[in-house]
Amino acid sequence: MASALSEPSRAAILSLFRSLLRTARQFSDYNIREYSKRRTIDGFRQNRELSDLSLVSSAFSDGKSQLEVARRQVWYHMALLDVNHFQVVEFRA
Amino acid sequence: MAMKLFTSKLRQTYTRTSSELRTLSTAAAATAPVEGFDETEGGISMKGVKISGRPLYLDMQATSPVDPRVLDAMLPFYISRFGNPHSRTHLYGWESDHAVETSRSQVAALINASPKEIVFTSGATESNNISVKGLMHFYKDKKRHIITTQTEHKCVLDSCRHLQQEGFEVTYLPVRPDGIIDLDGFRSAIRPDTGLVSVMMVNNEIGVIQPMEEIGRICRELNIPFHTDAAQALGKIRVDVEKMNVSLMSLSGHKIYGPKGVGALYIRRRPRIRVEPQMNGGGQERGIRSGTVPTPLVVGMGAACELAMKEMEYDGKRITALKERLLNGIRSNLDGVVVNGSIDCRYDGNLNLSFAYVEGESLLMGLKEVAVSSGSACTSASLEPSYVLRALGVEEDMAHTSIRFGIGRFTTEAEIDRAIELTVQQVEKLREMSPLYEMVKEGIDIKNIQWAQH
Repeated sequence: MASALSEPSRAAILSLFRSLLRTARQFSDYNIREYSKRRTIDGFRQNRELSDLSLVSSAFSDGKSQLEVARRQVWYHMALLDVNHFQVVEFRA
Repeated sequence: MAMKLFTSKLRQTYTRTSSELRTLSTAAAATAPVEGFDETEGGISMKGVKISGRPLYLDMQATSPVDPRVLDAMLPFYISRFGNPHSRTHLYGWESDHAVETSRSQVAALINASPKEIVFTSGATESNNISVKGLMHFYKDKKRHIITTQTEHKCVLDSCRHLQQEGFEVTYLPVRPDGIIDLDGFRSAIRPDTGLVSVMMVNNEIGVIQPMEEIGRICRELNIPFHTDAAQALGKIRVDVEKMNVSLMSLSGHKIYGPKGVGALYIRRRPRIRVEPQMNGGGQERGIRSGTVPTPLVVGMGAACELAMKEMEYDGKRITALKERLLNGIRSNLDGVVVNGSIDCRYDGNLNLSFAYVEGESLLMGLKEVAVSSGSACTSASLEPSYVLRALGVEEDMAHTSIRFGIGRFTTEAEIDRAIELTVQQVEKLREMSPLYEMVKEGIDIKNIQWAQH
C-alpha cells in the first residue's frame, strides 16, 4: 500500500499512458477501441494540472486498475471474436 | 504463489499467440458465424440485406452496448462466485450477498437515495408494473384514479388500461406540441381520489425532459404518490429523488451500458409507499419482488451506475457536441427537416427528426448501414406512425418519416459524419423520385390539393 501513496515518477506515468494506449489499440471492436483511446488521452489531459500528491497517486492507481481491466477485456474480445466484427465506418478509413 | 505465476505465464503466452494470430488472419481466431447470417465476399448478408460491415449503431434508446468495465465486474460472478445471494449458510452465499448489497448502494448513490429504498427487478417494465398496478391494488379501497400522460411508454399505458378494466379511472394528460405536459392542465386533472401520478422523466422516442421538480412539488402539496419512469434518464441527466420528490422510480440496466434483464425500482420509505407484489414467492427484496436476485446482472447494473456517475459529465459534453454536429450536418444539406419535441428541454443523445416529402419506410430501408429506428423498438414492427408523435400533434405525413438518432458513450465523429452522408444521400434520392417534392419546388401548396376520391 505504501507504494500507492508515494508520488509516481514522470517516467512511470508516461509508461502507464503508453501501456493504456497500446492495450486500447488491441480491442477488436471499433467503438470500444476508439473510446478507450479517446478516454485515455482525455483522462491524462484532464489530470495534467493535478498537483496534490494524494490526487496524483490516486489517479495513478486508478489508471493502473483500468489497465488491468482493459488487458483482461482485450483478451475476451479476441477469444470471442465474431467473423463479422468490422463496422462499416472502418472500411473507409 | 506457484499457481499465480503459472496463470500469469499462461496469460502472457495466450495473449501473444492470439495477437499474432490476429495480425496474420482474423478468421483464424474467429468464432463460428451466427445462424441465418451469411458471410459473403467482403460483407454481411442477413434477411436479404447485404452490407459491407456491421451497421453503425445509432439506436441507444433501444439498448446500449455493454461497457467492457461493466462486463469485467460481472464475469467473476459467472465463474467461481456463483452463489445464491440468499444462501445464509456458506461463503458462496455471503460473497454474492455482499456484491448485491454493494450494487444496491451504487444504484442508490446515482439517484441520491438510500440503499434500503432500492429493489432489483427484471427491468423497467417490471418496475413500472409494480409501481402502477401494485400501488393502485394496495390502496384500492380509497384511491380509484390515476393520472398519466399520452406519451408514456407502452408498459405504463398498458398497466393503466389493465386497471381500467378492473374499474379504476385513468386520465391520459395531453401534451403540448413540444411534448411537455401543461402543468395547469395537470393540476386541474387531480381529484380527491387520485392515487397515483405517473410521468416519465425522459421520453424514449423524442427525448424531451418533463418538468419533474414542478410535478413533484404539486404532488407533495397534495400528498399524492408520484411515479416516474427514469429508464432513459438514469446516468444521462441529474436524477435526484429528493429534489424531484419522487415516490417510485423505474430504472433499467441495459440503457446505461449495463446488462439486459435487470432493472431496479426505487420505492420511498419516508413517507412510506406500499405496493402489492406482482410476483409471490420466497420473499426476496423485502417481499416486493420474490425470486432469486441474479447476482451477475445486478453487479453489472451497479458497476454501470458507478461508471455513469463518474462519466456523466464527460459523456454529456461529448454527446452534446456530437448531436450538434449531426443536426448541423443534416440541416446544412437538407431543407424540410423538423426536430420532434422541445428543442430546449431535451436529452441531447436522442435526436428525433422528421424529413418532409419522404416516405419513412423507404428511408429506413435505404439506411441499411445505419442502425436507427423510427421510434421505440417495441413498436418498430408496425407501420403505424408513433402514438407519441401523434400526441404531439405532428401531421400524419411527418409522423411517418421520423427517425430517431440515438447517440451514446461509444459513438464516434466518423460515425456521425457517415450517418449524415448516408441520410442526406438517401433523402435526396427519395425526393428526386417524389412528385410531391417537385410540386413543392414549383410553389404548389400540397395541403390545398384536392386528391381524387378513392
